[in-house]
Amino acid sequence: MADESNTSSIDRRRFLTVLGASGAGAAALSGCSTDRVQKLIPYLVQSEDQVPGVATFYSSTCTECSAGCGVHVRTREGRAVKLEGNPEHPINRGKLCSRGQAALQGLYNPGRLKGPMAKSATGSFQEITWDDAIQRLSSKLSAAGGKVAVVSGAGRGTFSDLLGEWTTALGGKVVRYEPFDYEPMRAANRATFGRDEVPAHDFAQAKYIVSFGADFLETWLAPLENARGFAQSHGFHDGGMSKAVFFGSRAPLTALNADEWHLLAPGSETALALAMASAIATEKGDPLAASLSAFTPEMASKETGLPAEAIRRIAGEFAAAKPSLAVAGGVDGQHRGATELCAAVNLLNYLAGNIGHTVLFGADMQVADGAEALEALGAALDGGQVAVLLVHEANPLYTVPASVGFTPRFKKAGFKVSTSMYLDETAAQCDLLLPNHHALERWDDLRPRAGVVGLMQPVMEPVFKTMSTGDVLLKAAQKVGGALAKFNAPTFDAHLKSKWQELAKQQGQSDADAFWRTALQRGGSYSERAAAPEVKLASGAQAAYNRPAFDGNGEFYLAPHVSPLLYDGRGTNKPWLLENPDPVTKLTWHSWVEVHPETAKRLDVRNGEILKITSPQGSIEAPVCVYPGVHPQVLSMPLGFGHTEYGSYAKGRGVNPLDLLVTKGRQPFVPYVSAKVAIEKTGRFKKLASTEGTPRQLGRGIAEAMALPLAAKGLTLEQAAKAEGHPAAEVNTERELEALKGWSDDQYERTRLGDYAGEHPQWGMSIDLSRCTGCTACVTACYSENNIATVGEDEILRGREMTWMRIERYWEGGNQPGDPYEARFVPMLCQHCANAPCEPVCPVYAAYHTTDGLNGQIYNRCVGTRYCANNCPYKVRYFNWYKYNERAFPEPLNLQLNPDVTVRARGIMEKCTFCVQRIRGAQNQARLEGRPLKDGEFTTACAQACPSDAIVFGDVNDPTSRVRALKQNPRGYHVLEDLNVRPAVTYLAKVLHRTEA
Amino acid sequence: MRPSRLLRVTVRMMRKLALIGAGTATIGIVAIVLTSGRSGAQAPRPVADSTKAAVLAVGDTAKLLGPRQPVFFRHDVHAGQYKIQCQYCHYSVAVSSEPGIPSMQTCMGCHTLISGSDSGNKAEIKKLRDVSAQKKPIEWTRVHFLARHVHFPHSRHIKALGPNGCWTCHGEINHMPQVYRVNNINNMGWCVTCHLQRNVTRDCTACHY
Repeated sequence: MADESNTSSIDRRRFLTVLGASGAGAAALSGCSTDRVQKLIPYLVQSEDQVPGVATFYSSTCTECSAGCGVHVRTREGRAVKLEGNPEHPINRGKLCSRGQAALQGLYNPGRLKGPMAKSATGSFQEITWDDAIQRLSSKLSAAGGKVAVVSGAGRGTFSDLLGEWTTALGGKVVRYEPFDYEPMRAANRATFGRDEVPAHDFAQAKYIVSFGADFLETWLAPLENARGFAQSHGFHDGGMSKAVFFGSRAPLTALNADEWHLLAPGSETALALAMASAIATEKGDPLAASLSAFTPEMASKETGLPAEAIRRIAGEFAAAKPSLAVAGGVDGQHRGATELCAAVNLLNYLAGNIGHTVLFGADMQVADGAEALEALGAALDGGQVAVLLVHEANPLYTVPASVGFTPRFKKAGFKVSTSMYLDETAAQCDLLLPNHHALERWDDLRPRAGVVGLMQPVMEPVFKTMSTGDVLLKAAQKVGGALAKFNAPTFDAHLKSKWQELAKQQGQSDADAFWRTALQRGGSYSERAAAPEVKLASGAQAAYNRPAFDGNGEFYLAPHVSPLLYDGRGTNKPWLLENPDPVTKLTWHSWVEVHPETAKRLDVRNGEILKITSPQGSIEAPVCVYPGVHPQVLSMPLGFGHTEYGSYAKGRGVNPLDLLVTKGRQPFVPYVSAKVAIEKTGRFKKLASTEGTPRQLGRGIAEAMALPLAAKGLTLEQAAKAEGHPAAEVNTERELEALKGWSDDQYERTRLGDYAGEHPQWGMSIDLSRCTGCTACVTACYSENNIATVGEDEILRGREMTWMRIERYWEGGNQPGDPYEARFVPMLCQHCANAPCEPVCPVYAAYHTTDGLNGQIYNRCVGTRYCANNCPYKVRYFNWYKYNERAFPEPLNLQLNPDVTVRARGIMEKCTFCVQRIRGAQNQARLEGRPLKDGEFTTACAQACPSDAIVFGDVNDPTSRVRALKQNPRGYHVLEDLNVRPAVTYLAKVLHRTEA
Repeated sequence: MRPSRLLRVTVRMMRKLALIGAGTATIGIVAIVLTSGRSGAQAPRPVADSTKAAVLAVGDTAKLLGPRQPVFFRHDVHAGQYKIQCQYCHYSVAVSSEPGIPSMQTCMGCHTLISGSDSGNKAEIKKLRDVSAQKKPIEWTRVHFLARHVHFPHSRHIKALGPNGCWTCHGEINHMPQVYRVNNINNMGWCVTCHLQRNVTRDCTACHY
């Protein structure tokens, strides 16, 4: 069939050639693109720190949760295009989670309020001017006669100080309300240690970690700091690793990363913690042993259903590892006994000698005032004591359960003002909207903990006609006068700078200006962590365990869990966070209710079957997701859905499980796990928008693992399999292998065709599965860096998500009832095979191999045959079935696009490029400076974001590179190695810290 | 058939198609020359004294190639006659992918003092001063459009070709009273020819990503 291609009439390629030439003739010299900007508009005055085409980075502080991580904002031509971690910041050390990165979509959110608005008599909002808005606020404040109240988020800094003083001067009070506050932990610390605070935790030092329901890798305290520490201790290193155990009613990502996880009925984990404490106290002969004597492993076994033997073993292991760490608290285990649980865990840590080693008091973590303060405000509202109510960075009408009854009380306030950037549930009920600048548009600072003051600076001009609430307060103060006249700073940033001059003095810095400039560059002022204070057991500290009370008589416990992406619902208006699948269930865009497989079997319900879940408070409907990580008596649902306002992405999406809570009256905290619900089949089904292919590996060897003792010996996977007595099956005969090798060598040589002058790097990646937790920060980073379009629920149902990088979650075990499940996570991206199956099938050479080892995908060559995707064994090529690029970035979301990366149109195949734009950018810069490229000078977006440093990227040809060293690691393997495609991505097998039998 | 042979056949086929392509492209270029010949006269080439830019009467400007700009900024005067370095105004060309459009401040740096020698110049400089006084930018009409799927690092090319390397692609700007497109910068063959001659990268991902 040598020459018959010549005789074919006209093939597609020739057709295109002719078309191209005639097109050029007709349009003369007008080039390929017709819709570019027709005007070049110069600056009036050239900005010193903006060079067109070169990114400018600003340091700032993340406000997406109360952890207070430092960020670097990458800006191009005066707009923010990406958020990255600040390497100097002591909390996150250069890493950033999905929520933090998605703050960019908050900045450019189409649902943002475009300017101040006032509610008219008809109940609709009318746009007003800022002068008018501040006049309205001032006149109401003047007339309020001290009856002023403020509800604000947990953020603690110069602004919140000003807000506090300003409100006090008016005669009012600020209630700092954060939905996921840590009241039970603080209450327990008060009782056990006499300290009303939340301590910091050092996971990096801990050799044995036990979590009682605390999801420390996703949402608990400072997740990035925890994840970094966890990777340091639990990632396989120097022949060892720590061990992690999780107890809880529902397994979040933290549990799936633990070496063993046990599901318990909510509330019973306290008995377990006390039994462990009791065992340790008896062993040590501690005086506490007497008061703990009632809590025997047998008693705990009866409460939890765990074998007493296992409890003894875990207690022994916990005590033997020094230091160890036990953690509790957080929403997923916040039942009515949460304070007792935290107190029990305090005793456990105290007896194991962890206080001062892995549990560090004196951290002065940023917390809010708690549910009691909100209740007090509610009482004041009832009493007509609030004439003006200001809501700042809080959305209590959504985050407080309906049964608490805050909404009707809120409406009793005389005049309600919101500074929210979006029309959220609370803002919709307000009379005056004074939208604040986004955190990336304003000046402020944050003090997330002792020794850390993070600075925020405007990184760009405001997107809309918003105003910094600091400026609003100062302007209103001047109009109202009287007690407020003392707030006479001309602007909030002048006020902030004067506060920083005071801070410079406090820190003994003589040159306040230099201190300020350094802080701006470094993202804040960081001092060494002060030595943890001596912590003693408070007198009268004692253990208690009562089965917590639950409302309702339903068969199942309802355990709402915090979505690691949507958090308290503030992420639901950001398409990245909706499309990025939940790390454990792999579901996107909608609510679901998790049911244990055995329960599902018993009730005969299956995936997607819509259940009606009823509590005495009401009922909601959600589709079933059969999930082995939920206790058979528990139904778990993600929080963050079910908004009735909050922009087009969030409004009406899913249901809010808080609507089922029955909790009422004065209480120290919101008991999230406190309802018992009944279920009813509706007979209707909904297809789950899941990105999961198959939950099992089916013998394909995708997510490999080996036992710790074998890894410690430095065995390879093959040797480890032999040592365990199951050698790998022979896949090919010797002759077949020889033939394959000859063919592949031939292919490989051909990739060198068209080589040009000089030596070339070979880009490669290694992913350490013993460090990867499956948190999906890399996925969001990839969306942000590479302008990946979100496609929405309907397209995901058709399997058309565009996620260049995805985290695959595979289940092992669980084959018989009672057999434990084990989860394995594999980040899957284009493997940049040296012998890539996608390349030879492309009829137009759009997929080809570069001389530096990349599997190139050239969009302008691609004609969309999709042969490459059909031939890719990893399913990492994604096709633009529709104009996703036009749908996914409604204005002003299009401003987030990275100008270094082409936005792909309909009919184009796309995939991971190993961030080729970063490679070329770094190469260009090195060449300009006349020097070779250094290892670690740049990295891909996924490796940069990875909180546990599992991903390492670099040049395999560079003998000093980290990635080259990692590729020699005996744990290294390639996914689907038998195909002989020679991937450039090496995975390092997960290490299992199994219990020795 | 072995895959390697298939590859070779395909490459041979490619070459043939490339020849056909080149042929049609030549026809295209001829067509372009013809159309451009019809649409307007070539810009007046400077005479032997290349340092002195031609004085243009109002009637001459209508014949100039390229789009009309809001201010009749003359590269032949600035870069030709006065030999101002390109990078004085296009400040980022050696450090960035983008060449940089001079800010109004850069223009006014000189034109606060220099108000022009003849009435034509004076009128244009007055336009500049007026908009600058109103703190408005001049909205220049764009001449060169690079397709959006191409990434062209100006800095690398200036480094390789020297400070006057601009001419290689943009033509002798220092002789143009009004800038027009001399070369089709979106013709990839034209890029590749130069890269072949210098034996530098022809990798697709050097520009396309």
